[in-house]
Amino acid sequence: MARLELQRVTKSLANGQRVLRDIDCAVNDGELISMVGPSGCGKSTLLRCIAGLEAITSGEIRIGEQRVNDLPPRQRNVAMVFQNHALYPHMTVYQNLAFGLRVRHVARAAVDARVRRTAARLGLDALLGRYPRELSGGQRQRTALGRAMLREPGVFLLDEPLSSLDIPLRAEMRRELSALHQSLGTTMVYVTHDQSEALSLGQRVVVLADGAIEQIDTPDGIYQAPRNRFVAGFVGWPPMNFLSEDWLHDTGLDTQCIEYGIRPERLRLRPGARGDFSIIGKLERIESFGGEWQVEISRQGSRVIARVPPETKLQRGAELRLWFRREDLYAFDRATGSRMQAWR
Amino acid sequence: MSGRGMVLRASRYAVLIVMALATLFPLLWVTSIAFMRSPERFAGTPPLWPDHPTLVNMVNIVHQQRIGHYFLNSLIVAAATTPLSVLVAGLAGYALAQAKFRGHRLVSWVVMFAVLVPNQALVLPLFEMFSAVHLVNHYAALVLPAAANAVSIVLIQAYARAIPKDILDAARIDGASEWRTFFSVVVPLMAPMLAAVAVLTFVVSWNDFMWPMIAMQKVDMQTLPVALASIDREHYQNIGLMAAGATVAILPMMLVFLASQRYYLRAVSAGSVTD
Repeated sequence: MARLELQRVTKSLANGQRVLRDIDCAVNDGELISMVGPSGCGKSTLLRCIAGLEAITSGEIRIGEQRVNDLPPRQRNVAMVFQNHALYPHMTVYQNLAFGLRVRHVARAAVDARVRRTAARLGLDALLGRYPRELSGGQRQRTALGRAMLREPGVFLLDEPLSSLDIPLRAEMRRELSALHQSLGTTMVYVTHDQSEALSLGQRVVVLADGAIEQIDTPDGIYQAPRNRFVAGFVGWPPMNFLSEDWLHDTGLDTQCIEYGIRPERLRLRPGARGDFSIIGKLERIESFGGEWQVEISRQGSRVIARVPPETKLQRGAELRLWFRREDLYAFDRATGSRMQAWR
Repeated sequence: MSGRGMVLRASRYAVLIVMALATLFPLLWVTSIAFMRSPERFAGTPPLWPDHPTLVNMVNIVHQQRIGHYFLNSLIVAAATTPLSVLVAGLAGYALAQAKFRGHRLVSWVVMFAVLVPNQALVLPLFEMFSAVHLVNHYAALVLPAAANAVSIVLIQAYARAIPKDILDAARIDGASEWRTFFSVVVPLMAPMLAAVAVLTFVVSWNDFMWPMIAMQKVDMQTLPVALASIDREHYQNIGLMAAGATVAILPMMLVFLASQRYYLRAVSAGSVTD
């Protein structure tokens, strides 16, 4: 177990392109932090830099008390789970699990005991003699996790480990992973492009864009108080509605310098208190999710999505008015994109 | 199966059978001639089948011609060349495919270019070099030049490109050194291609003629192909004896191929590695 610290970590490619810019971040001992961002934002590169698979250009990476910038991966006390599991195809589950210990010259009997204990914990005991090609996606995933666990690393690095699984399995593995983190108590860095996964797993979430950190906060903090327009639009599904001037001209709000956003679940079909705002548009689409509907209204080419309780009276093509409280609006500076704190 | 499918299948097999016969025919004929008593009396073209099969050519090739001795020379050279060449090509091909190092492109191009250089063009400089270090008439004169083979390197490089990078990274994180990664992970993944390269190397070494003829000037050091060719010169044309020598010479290659056929075919037909 160890604390992970990144100080002004920067990585430039040979052509001068900066793929990581001044990354400052500390992951506490035993914390599970998730890193999320659109593809190409540098999150996987950052993870590979922490692992030692890629070199950084400047800055410092510390694991525990040690500066690891110049250490090879095997001396960094990290384990990594890869997106496609990266199991050794020519080795059985047992051999896959044991490889890291064998390499470290752990005695055969100790290897055997540890492999079997970990396999039992992950429900792999019956599969030890199988080859990766004979396993299901979830079993491969567990094997990859087991291999990482056997290293007993200070820091556990997970690179989109669930993205190759189908959706129901993904939810199950996500719960298992969370439980595993609780029982192991190891520091974990979890990289994903799926913001809902990032929020549900991470004790804190790092949002990355274009090689730089946009915000670090708890999942609730990220969702409730995004620091800027990018984070607000990236986190949450369906994404936050950004209201163009057309929607708001009866409200008297300043739309010159400020852009307003509202979360889909904050829009309602009926007015609440006096003084609520409303917007009106043509009902374009109704999508039912059983207990909840997502409705989309449009006005002069701009669209707004709302999450509302099922309402049989809604008619496609008709005008629909949606209500919201003034304090549910988010306000962003049009020039800088940063959120105007005073608003809420 | 439909009638059309049957016809298609039958004609496909017919073509394959004709091709197989065309390939096998000379081999079978040579083997058959090896068991004929003085086939040269048939004014040029020996018959397909011996009228009175005999082992006299076989006995002569072993006793008079000391074929066992040359056979052993060839075997020593091929057995030393094959593992060495596979190791060198395996390391070089893997490094060129997966490692990042300065001048990587240049080296790749040089290797590619080396494929185009005919062996005959190398004979003179090689001879100069081996004379200078007094290795002419040494097994090393045949083994060392064959140890680094550009064709093998290019074949393995192409194959090694398909090894997923994540698997290599996983090994590094698991704590394996580069050597350990190579032998424990890379070699098993490249096994089919390494086997194919081994077979090719063995066959090329076994059949090589020009360089062994020049580098091995002592009769005692000659390899089988060179010794067989001199049967022709020393005596009047003894076709039966030559056929017997050729038959004996084919045997080890058949064994090598049969033993590695499974891997060999996998590498030649697949061209891809793992999932």
